[in-house]
Parts: sequence; structure tokens; C-alpha cells
Amino acid sequence: MQQQRIVYDDTTTRRFIFAAVVFGIVGMAVGALVASQLAWWQANLGIPYLTYSRLRPLHTNAVIFAFVGNMMFAGVYYSTQRLLKARMASDLLSKIHFWGWQAIIVAAAITLPLGITTSKEYAELEWPIDLAIALIWVVFAINFFWTLAKRNEKNLYVAIWFYIATIITVAVLHIVNSLALPLDGLKSYSVFSGVQDALVQWWYGHNAVAFFLTTPILGIMYYFLPKAAERPVYSYRLSIIHFWALVFIYIWAGPHHLLYTALPDWAQSLGMVFSVMLWAPSWGGMLNGLLTLKGAWHKLREDPVLKFLIAGVTFYGMATFEGPLLSIKSVSALGHYTDWIVGHVHGGALGWNGFMAAGMFYWLVPRLYGTRLHSTKAADAHFWLGTVGILLYIVAMWISGINQGLMWRATNPDGTLLYPNFVETLLAIRPMYIVRFVGGSMYLVGFCMMAWNLWKTARSGKAVDGETTVVVESPAAEAPVAAPAQTPAWVRVLTGRPLLFAIAILTVTMFLGWAKPVRAVVILVAIVGLGELAWIVTRRDREAGRPSWFALIEGRPLAFTVLTLVAILIGGVAELLPTILIDQAVPAHGEAQKPYSPLELQGRDLYVREGCYTCHSQMIRPFVAETQRYGDVSRAEEFIYDHPFQWGSKRTGPDLHRVGGRYPNLWHYTHLMDPRATSPGSNMPPYPWLAENRIKVKDAPRKLSLMQKLGVPYTNADVDAAESRQKAQGEAIAADLASQGIQVTWDSEMVALVAYLQRLGRGPQDVPPPPAGAPTASVTQEGSH
Amino acid sequence: MSEKSLVHHVYDGIEEHDNNLPNWWLFILWTTIVFGTGYWFWFHIAEAGPGQMGEYATESAEFARRASGNKPASNEMLLALVKDPESVAGGKAVFQANCAACHGPQGQGLIGPNLTDGFWLHGGAPMAIHKVVAEGSVAKGMPAWERTLGAERVKAVTAYVLTLKGTNVPGGKAPQGEPETP
Repeated sequence: MQQQRIVYDDTTTRRFIFAAVVFGIVGMAVGALVASQLAWWQANLGIPYLTYSRLRPLHTNAVIFAFVGNMMFAGVYYSTQRLLKARMASDLLSKIHFWGWQAIIVAAAITLPLGITTSKEYAELEWPIDLAIALIWVVFAINFFWTLAKRNEKNLYVAIWFYIATIITVAVLHIVNSLALPLDGLKSYSVFSGVQDALVQWWYGHNAVAFFLTTPILGIMYYFLPKAAERPVYSYRLSIIHFWALVFIYIWAGPHHLLYTALPDWAQSLGMVFSVMLWAPSWGGMLNGLLTLKGAWHKLREDPVLKFLIAGVTFYGMATFEGPLLSIKSVSALGHYTDWIVGHVHGGALGWNGFMAAGMFYWLVPRLYGTRLHSTKAADAHFWLGTVGILLYIVAMWISGINQGLMWRATNPDGTLLYPNFVETLLAIRPMYIVRFVGGSMYLVGFCMMAWNLWKTARSGKAVDGETTVVVESPAAEAPVAAPAQTPAWVRVLTGRPLLFAIAILTVTMFLGWAKPVRAVVILVAIVGLGELAWIVTRRDREAGRPSWFALIEGRPLAFTVLTLVAILIGGVAELLPTILIDQAVPAHGEAQKPYSPLELQGRDLYVREGCYTCHSQMIRPFVAETQRYGDVSRAEEFIYDHPFQWGSKRTGPDLHRVGGRYPNLWHYTHLMDPRATSPGSNMPPYPWLAENRIKVKDAPRKLSLMQKLGVPYTNADVDAAESRQKAQGEAIAADLASQGIQVTWDSEMVALVAYLQRLGRGPQDVPPPPAGAPTASVTQEGSH
Repeated sequence: MSEKSLVHHVYDGIEEHDNNLPNWWLFILWTTIVFGTGYWFWFHIAEAGPGQMGEYATESAEFARRASGNKPASNEMLLALVKDPESVAGGKAVFQANCAACHGPQGQGLIGPNLTDGFWLHGGAPMAIHKVVAEGSVAKGMPAWERTLGAERVKAVTAYVLTLKGTNVPGGKAPQGEPETP
């Protein structure tokens, strides 16, 4: 036996905190700017790089990956070392991780305003940056798991479980959702299209919320909350149940972003019921946080750290109740595409992530600099400014979202729309946009006060690194303990009763996917029976004092990691695989989509570049109120060549799926130059640069041949003719505009975008439509079934 | 909720209780699981509830029933509406909100043609105007409005457009189409 002194690497933690605070201010300031642009369109300033639709992705990426990302890494680096009684395995990897992540953020901050984007929400960054993210994430993973291997603490505390789940799941999500074929160094197209792309994207999008914004922060809560409260964690068994339930169930919930879309009903239902079942596991985390304070509630009065942490956990509870609620199909029918969703995510981002970050920083920075917090009063003021700011924000968004959702569906006695003009519904909620801007700005001011407070605190002390002493047992002493013949650990892991029961129950449950009613009842009885048996066996084992299987895997990081990976893969595979394997080209109810003409494809890329999807959906849901307003219900087979899909998630403006042919070219030109000329009261930014900029005409054949590789049925002749077809279609539109006194060149971006808009919901517009009555490919296919 | 003894592990000074799960929490857990199973059973195993297109069909039928009270438009009906100030005022409001952006606040024409000059692309008879408003003209970029505005508003706005005929607003767009022949 010998004593060993371990000095923790706290420099990396300090760096991550600094970066989190700086990028937090940037991300929230951009948020305040885009909020003001929705209330006052003039705040777009007519500058492409500062236009709402390009900045909103910058805001979301900055807050999620730069602010919460850096904050999470700070918390993970600090707590992991102490929970494992080991310094991070490699200082070099820590440095690469920190500087690599900051370089990625800078790259994002440059490319997104330039319109370099994939348009997949929270995954907008283009492929070279995606590769860098994967690389840096692997560096982080190696550093983390290497530290696990070197640990001086046998068992893993619950915080570490959550970090493990975060690291492996984010890797899986990022890699699958970023699969794309590059056109050049700055442009790529998703390998998935239409419905498949939508499902993969929201499987990613939802679980980015789950495994980037939730699980690591729960881990941080499990470390910093009992530390700050100086109280024991409420319940170990609750942490086991809510951890495993959370990681298993969360991954299934993605389709709740696609309720009443062209996604098949069965996938929508899975998304909905698993979201509802997420309620209790999420609240398990909240309970373990709140009840840890049992007997120490009085500390809330004095300690700003606890104020922030407890308020953060409370907002988590609120958001994780609202989430399942919004996932119920009929509630989503009202709330989807409205500000209610925006309010919901800000309850999570500002309340949960932002306040947990503040609580952690106020606790950490004095300790990292061996001093006291500069001003408790300022921290209190920050707390109240932030709380009032959040409440103003989310209440404004509730009112605005529910109000607008109701206006969209309101009808006259004869069933016609009460508010047929979309702008009417926008003008009704404008006051709420101003309240939201005020609330968000208050939160930002509070955050800046924290930055100042932390700065003063750090300046008043000196950087100190934590340390500890561990007793290292010599290998010789350990040998006799291991000697008694015991079943090898991996056998005990694999034959653990909780695992066997879980496998048995899941296997039986799987058959519910296909069963007919009678067989399904038998299966349900079998599930209940197995569950009952599991319960009896568990009780008996516990009473008999048998060692817990959970304690066993908590001492084996490899087994733990593999089991977590399996838990998150089940839901992903069950939902994604059937959708990806299905042959999309067979139309289910109507005619399949025809590939885009070369000019339309170019215009589509401009639609993506400008970020039109941030305000316009292309998905008409099966409600009469929507079909009256926008046209026929959107069908899955109409999107099969959409790499990437453009369904959108928010309607600040109307749906565009069937806008093609609705208005003349001149209307689109006028509208894009000055939206208020055609739609008085609109808050859409003007896009005058489209009339000046030229498209790259030479790209057309390259784009077509890339689409060929992705499975779009362009012939080689199509590729060869791409440039001439492009020119003919462009000249026709330019001539039409010229006949009404508007001069734009045929290869201007304006013409390309108008070409794309004019074909939405229809076939390509540069070829004459097939003569009526002639059998089309899809009709023949249908006939042969 | 009695405080159970501490679990023996201590991690960096953090201790853990092992309290039982609160009953109300367990109630939420099991209720949501039972709900989820029941939902799946009802809609996807027993197929006892309609899918989303089934719901839509029901809603569409209800809509058709409600709209069935509307009388079909005719030249006589539209000309009668022109004489009814209330209808014309209603039509004017609809025009200002939905049509003025393209046809100008006085119908003098901007993106769309001048409605005051006596020249018509699709004919100037009441039912000819009604048809273009209701069904649109894809080739010319005129949206079909009946779907969005409903039959009654389309009739009213047609009546209002009939009142604009021949007002020849100064500074209007150059004539398009054929002069109306009585």
C-alpha cells in the first residue's frame, strides 16, 4: 500500500468556462437580434449576412453547441476527475478537444451567415465541419474512456453514467444524420431524401435535445447539486430506473416532430406513445434533484448557486411535462409550426440549460480561483432578471402560439376560413413578439452581469488546481482476493437477471408490432406475466442479500457502455430501418415526384442557402383548414427526390408546398424584393441581392450527376443537356418578367429561385406536361399491382 | 417517504440515500405505459380508430355538409348582389385584404391586370369574373380563391369587382385582353 497524490487538470475546466460564457453572450445576443427582426423587419438591415433566415441557425447552433457544449465539457472535466479520483488521461487530448471545439465554433460562425448550410436543423454545418466535429468528439471520447480505465474508484457514480450515454449517443446521431455526398468543399447533399430524411433528421434533432442538452446536464446536476446543498442524493434506486428508462425511451420519441405529416401513421404513433412514456423517467431526474434538498430548503434563501440549480431543475420538470403534452397528436395539431414550440424549447434552453450553467459557474469559479464570489447581490439580481425574462418569454410564446394556431383553424358557420389571409394571423401576435424580445433581452442582461461577476471573482484570486490523495494497493496484495474461483465477471454481466428479463420482455414486445388482436392479447398477458415474475425474483434476491447486478455493471465501464449503446440503438433501428428499406418510388396514393429541372435544382439550393425553411414549411397536414389555405394534403411520394427534405418546423410565413403556379413570376419577384409590396404587414426580410447575384451555370450538370449517384433518375442525356435546359428555362422566366418591365438576367439567382418556387407541388416547369389521358409510369405501375 | 439508509458508496464526498420511489411517480410511470400500450393496440393492432387520412375524410365530409347550404352563383344572383350595399362593402373588404396587392387598391392593376378599364382576359360577364376568382388561372398566375375564401366571399368580391367595371381609374395599368362586347 502506498499513498499517491493526484493533481486534477482544472486548467481545461477554466478554459471551457471562459469559452462558454463568451459564446453564451454571443449566442444569446444573436438570439435577441433575430427576435427583434421578427418584431421589426427593418432590423434585417438589408444585409444578407445579417438576415433572419441565415442568423437563426447561427443562434441555435451557438447556444446549443458553443454555450451548452462548452459548459457541459467544463462540468464533465471537473466532475469526472473527482468522481474517478484520477486526472484526465491526457493533457494533450484535453487541449486538442478544447481548441478543436473552439475552431469548429468559429467555422460555424463564419459559414452560417455566408449561407453555407445543409438546412438540417441543429445540423446545418457543412461536411468538412461535420468531419471535424466527429474527430474532436472522438478525441473527447478517448480522453474520457481512457480516464475511466485509469480510475481509482471502483464503481461509477450516476453522473458518469449520463456522461457515457452522452458520448456514445451523440456520436451515433451525428454520424448517421450527417451522411451526405459532397458537391465541392462547401456543399453537400443528404444521402437520405423526403420522408426518410425527415425521420433521420428528427431522430437526430430530438435526441440532440436529449443527449446534448439533457443527459450531460443531468450528470452535472447529480454532481453539483448535492455538492452545493451538502446533502445526500435522494434515491439511488430512482437514479437507476430513470437513467435506463430515459436512455431507452428517449431515442424513440423523434417522430413527435412529424405528427400529421407524410410520415407513416405507425411511426408517428410510436413517437407519440414513447414521448408520453418519457414523462415519468424525466421527472425521476427532477425528483432526485429537488428532493436532494430535503431538509436544506432554507439554504435556498442565501445561496445563489442553489437558487439557480433548483430553478433550473424546476424548469426541466416543466419542459418535460410540456414535451409529452405537445407530443399528443391532437395537441401537436394545434401547437406544431407555432410559437408554442419556440416557447417550449426556450423553457428548456434558458430555464434548464442556462440556469444550470449559471449555478455551476457560480459554484465553480470561486473554487477554481481559490476565492469567494465577488458579489452575491449581483448573482441574486441575475437570478431575478433571468427568471422574469424567461417567464415573459415563454408566456408570450404560449399566447402567441395558441392564438395563431386557433386563428389558422377558425372557421365561419359555412366551414370557410375565418382568417383566410395569413398576414392577419401574424399581425395578431406581433405584440407578443415584442414581449418576447424584452424577456429575452432581460435574460441576456442578467447573463452579462454574471460574466462581469465571474470575471471579478477570477481576478480576485489565483488559479488553483484541485488535488486528492489515493491509496494505491500493490498488485501482490490484490491477488489473494481474486483467487476464490468465481464465475467470470462477463458471464455474471450477461446472465444478470435484470438483463435477461429485459431481453425477454423486449423480445416479446417486439411481436406487438405485427400481431393481430387475439395474438396481441396473448403477448400482452405474457409481458405482464414476465414483468410480475421479474418483480418477484428481484424482491427475493434483494431480501436474500444477493449482490446487485446494477452494482456489478456500474463497476465495469465497458459492459456499461455496450449496454447503453444497445439501449439507444433499439429504438433508432426499429424506427429508421423499415422507413429506409421501403421502396419510396412506389407511389402509395398518387403520382410520384418528377425530378427537378436543372434550374429548379439550382433554385432549390438558394432556398436552402437563404434558410427559407426557418419560416416556411412544405408540408400540408390533413386538416380541412390547411387544405383550404394551402391546397391538397402533402403525400410522401411527392418528396422522394428531395435531398435534403424541406418540410420545415415553423410557420412564421405560410406553407409553400403548393405555391407553384399560384402566383405570376412578377408576384414572386416583387415579393422577394419587397415582401410588403405584395403582403402588407408581412415581417419577411427583403432579398434584393438575389436579383444581382448570378448562379454558377456550370454547376448544373455536376449537380445532376451527383443527384444521379443519390438515386434520382436523371439520364446521362439529362446531365449533358443540363446547361442548355437551364438557359432555356431561365430565359423564359426573364422574358416574362421583361414583358412587364422588370429586367433581370436569365442566370440571376432571382430567376432560379422563382423557377424553384413555381414548380413546388407540381412537375418540372421547363417541359410541356404529358398529354392528358396518356398512361404515365406511375399509373402503369399501379395497374400491375 | 422514509429516509432509507445511505448506500455505502461515497463519491467525492457525495452520499446517496436509497429512498423508495414515490407512489405518485410510479402511478405516472405505469399509467403512461398502459396508455401507450392501449393506444398502440387500439389504432395499430385492432385498427379500431381511423388513421390520419381517415380522420381527414370524416372532416372533409363534415365540411362538405356545412358548405352544402351555399347556393350556386348565377349572373342574376351576382347582379342582384351588386345592388346590395352590404354585400358590396363586404366584397370591398375582401378585395382590400386579398386582391389589392396585385390588382391595386382601386383595381387599377399592378402585378395583375387593370379591372377598371373594360378590357378582360377571360370575359367581363358576372359569371366569367366569378369563375376566374373562384378557380383561378394557372397560366396567368391568378390563384383559385374559392378554396381559401369560401363561396360567399367569392360572390361578394365578384360583386365588388363588377362595381369597378368602367371606373377607369387614372394612372391604371395598360389594358390587357379584349374589350367587353355587350
